[in-house]
Amino acid sequence: MIVLTFDFYRHLLDLYPANYRDEFGEEMTAVFRDMQAETAAKGTLARSAFYIRETAGAIVGALREHFRVPGREEAWLLFPPKFFRNRRLTMHTEFRFPKATAVLMAIILAGVMAAIKMGEGIVASVPHVSEPVGTIHPVHSVLLGGVVMMLAMFYAAGLIGWVILFAMRRSGVHRLETSGESK
Amino acid sequence: MALYDMSPEAIMKFLPLTEPVLLILLSLAGQPRHGYSILKDVEQMSDGRVMLSTGTLYGALRRLLDEDWIERVEEREASRGRQAYRLTASGRKNLQFEIGRMKQLTRLAGLRTAGKQA
Repeated sequence: MIVLTFDFYRHLLDLYPANYRDEFGEEMTAVFRDMQAETAAKGTLARSAFYIRETAGAIVGALREHFRVPGREEAWLLFPPKFFRNRRLTMHTEFRFPKATAVLMAIILAGVMAAIKMGEGIVASVPHVSEPVGTIHPVHSVLLGGVVMMLAMFYAAGLIGWVILFAMRRSGVHRLETSGESK
Repeated sequence: MALYDMSPEAIMKFLPLTEPVLLILLSLAGQPRHGYSILKDVEQMSDGRVMLSTGTLYGALRRLLDEDWIERVEEREASRGRQAYRLTASGRKNLQFEIGRMKQLTRLAGLRTAGKQA
């Protein structure tokens, strides 16, 4: 169990940018090992809390490092408006799509495809009332279409909003507001 | 971006500190510490309320290193897994600034909740 979770933690560190791993990876695994040894003597609840905390901390930390903007420590989150107001979204040059993510995505895709195939094979029938209704056609095509449509609508709404804000900025209306405040 | 500009206005950009960062700085205020020692000290200082993960700790240490609030201690026989950290002069000054700010708030809160005007 201990070896298994230690290996798991080392794989979690693969989610971090390479330069971060080079700088802190060895220290982090050493500290994790010390903490793990200390927690081993505790109860199941404490051990579970430790592993959950470490897993969540490593994932959040990795995301944070990938989207970190040097010199703007307050802007690590994806969503605060300040982030978009101050600068464009910049991605580190050392950012690479983690291999583990590609494998995970492939597994999820295979699972979805298998589920669709299984769904196609289901034949529904209502006993004592009528003949079998035949093959049920999966609705994935409808769902996918809906999702794409929804994304397109959000994208269009965002684009319209951006155009309006851009036009207002070009018109200089924001300067009028500033000068009004200064008075 | 290091804090070369040590004016109160420049420091205020980084305040208030989050509780984990404040506790990490307090942990390093007394003596240099390794990562594991910092984790245990933070847990002890907060009576077990704040238990940092390794990822959170090193994320905070990396930012504090970048901002020049802390520095690595050069140790002859230290392995890379046992790196110690200590406060820099600017880190200590910023910590004192934050403590002063908190003292002022605490004093004000005491007066206001006692029904007096500050």
